Amino acid sequence: MEVAELVKPFKWADKSPSLELQHEIEQFYYKEAQLLDHSEFEAWLELMEKDIHYWMPIRMNRLGREMSQEYTAIGQGGHYDDTYETMRGRIRARVSGVNWAENPVSRTRHLISNVIINETEEPNTYEVVSSFIVYRNRSENQADIFPGERRDVLRRSEGGLGFKIARRTILIDQSTLLSNNLSVFF
Amino acid sequence: MSFNDGKWTSESIHSLIDTEQGKIDPRIYTDQELYELELERVFGRSWLLLGHESHVPKKGDYLTTYMGEDPVVMVRQRDGSIKVFHNQCRHRGMRICRADCGNAKAFTCTYHGWAYDTAGKLVNVPFEEEAFPSDFKKEDWGPLQARVEIYKGLVFANWDPEAPDLLTYLSDATPYMDTMLDRSEAGTEVIGTMQKWVIPCNWKFAAEQFAGDMYHAATTSHLAAVVAGLPEDQDLSVFQPHMKGHQFLSEWGGHGCGFYLDTARGSVRVGPLVDKYYSEGPAFERAKERLESKMPYHRMGASHMTIFPNCSFLPYGMNTVRTWHPKGPNEIEVWAFVIVDKDAPQEIKDELARQNVRTFSAGGVYEQDDGENWVEIQNALRGYKSKTAPLAMQMGLNVQGKNNPEFPGQTSYVFSEDVARGFYSHWVRMMSESSWDTLRPEPAKATTLSE
Ligand code: FES
Ligand SMILES: [Fe+2]
Repeated sequence: MEVAELVKPFKWADKSPSLELQHEIEQFYYKEAQLLDHSEFEAWLELMEKDIHYWMPIRMNRLGREMSQEYTAIGQGGHYDDTYETMRGRIRARVSGVNWAENPVSRTRHLISNVIINETEEPNTYEVVSSFIVYRNRSENQADIFPGERRDVLRRSEGGLGFKIARRTILIDQSTLLSNNLSVFF
Repeated sequence: MSFNDGKWTSESIHSLIDTEQGKIDPRIYTDQELYELELERVFGRSWLLLGHESHVPKKGDYLTTYMGEDPVVMVRQRDGSIKVFHNQCRHRGMRICRADCGNAKAFTCTYHGWAYDTAGKLVNVPFEEEAFPSDFKKEDWGPLQARVEIYKGLVFANWDPEAPDLLTYLSDATPYMDTMLDRSEAGTEVIGTMQKWVIPCNWKFAAEQFAGDMYHAATTSHLAAVVAGLPEDQDLSVFQPHMKGHQFLSEWGGHGCGFYLDTARGSVRVGPLVDKYYSEGPAFERAKERLESKMPYHRMGASHMTIFPNCSFLPYGMNTVRTWHPKGPNEIEVWAFVIVDKDAPQEIKDELARQNVRTFSAGGVYEQDDGENWVEIQNALRGYKSKTAPLAMQMGLNVQGKNNPEFPGQTSYVFSEDVARGFYSHWVRMMSESSWDTLRPEPAKATTLSE
């Protein structure tokens, strides 16, 4: 994905998908949020395809004329730049009981909205954009808010929650992350 | 010049750190007045890391950053040099450049339009002729310029014209820096941009830990990160802390590092591909050849280092470099970037960048747990008892015979607080000695060091 594209609105199709598809995918996202907000991380990992690229580029303060370079390019690091394997490692760490940044466990709330779906040339494969606000409250008085946008490629799957995530690009609405870490999934 | 003693006299500053008993007065992490003195005496006089040369490869490329809490711009000049100037307009104090990075032909203040060239010279004042006195001199009102020096790609700046040059300042720490910066004649380059995040903690927790605390990594802090990096069929029961290694404390300046000795370099940390690149093959052999005259490089494993006051990095393929920018006594911003051997194969560069995000970044499996520790310490330090009960810094105190003459400079056991004591002793000196006449290292030593 060209990073210059990330600055522009998601390219929606002229024709909206069926109400049924819209409903199915929104329900998928709500259930995914339930898994994340109730620490079912291994079940959440199950939603990912083995070839997933889970990526959150760094976002810079740029002057208008250089806005096409607002995001770091693919291969240039980021806040997340993960494969299925490295996500699996992260989840192993999270459920190990010794991931002190998340034990005692944080309280999170993933709010997902503004879902726009494009059907693609590949059958049963969808490009989906959604907005999120993730709230994290931890320890006695720590509160973090992470707002942003996700650009996903979803594939319909047998069983499970009906879809798998083949690609997730997360655009966080922060340049300097305003939290002490990013031990949160999106 | 001499310091105007307020609440904190030279004597009371000295009493904050007791290196003989190994005690820290916790107020060094919380006191607002001490913090104001740090901005003046530590950050106003030390060489501070701003970035890497390759952050600004082309003329007009700039990066905005901070020296202490003062905003600065670092700009590549037409002649290839780098200038650093105060990112503040001298008219009413507006921040001149408000982007993180980019390329510019000039900088124009958005408040009243004063314009500066890329060297920070004031070149245009709107209505100068019509509205300003005839003896108004533009050359008197350019932003403050900092001294700039580069050590093997890393760009440092200093406000103090009296401070020793960078090489003298780095003292005998350079061979250890070279294990990251000088593995190849091509040097290093930066991958991507600066990652920034906020940690509500005092800057010294981070700087001191990277200077001298392998202890936390060998004990409880990073167990989750180990799990994250293990092959699927292994669990934490295979974890054995490595017990062999050293700490190095610079002869002058409070710089320090720690490293493991004779260990597999750790695919847990950097992944198998990068691990291999750092432990065998042509790049490793070349690095060995370049560095081996100074120390048995091939025996060194995971390593951490701080250049006083707030520049830290992790060599050996972790390759994260950062400045802990102070934002008051109770907060820092971490500004971190990744560097790699410039002539490394592309697949190594790509993999190293990915592994860095996975391990030592805001969301990294190592780094996230550091953030938790420092925040909880800073919270606890709000208490009266917390501020008055000294903290223990006795590890390695009066433990003799741990110096390893195969390594340059003064070394001790890897699990020691020698470096912490050295770091805080230098902090005391910077905070209490007003003149470089007493502060500066012996000139004779300086010459031998810069050879
Ligand atoms: S403050 Fe910059 S021109 Fe007035
Ligand atoms: Fe750590």
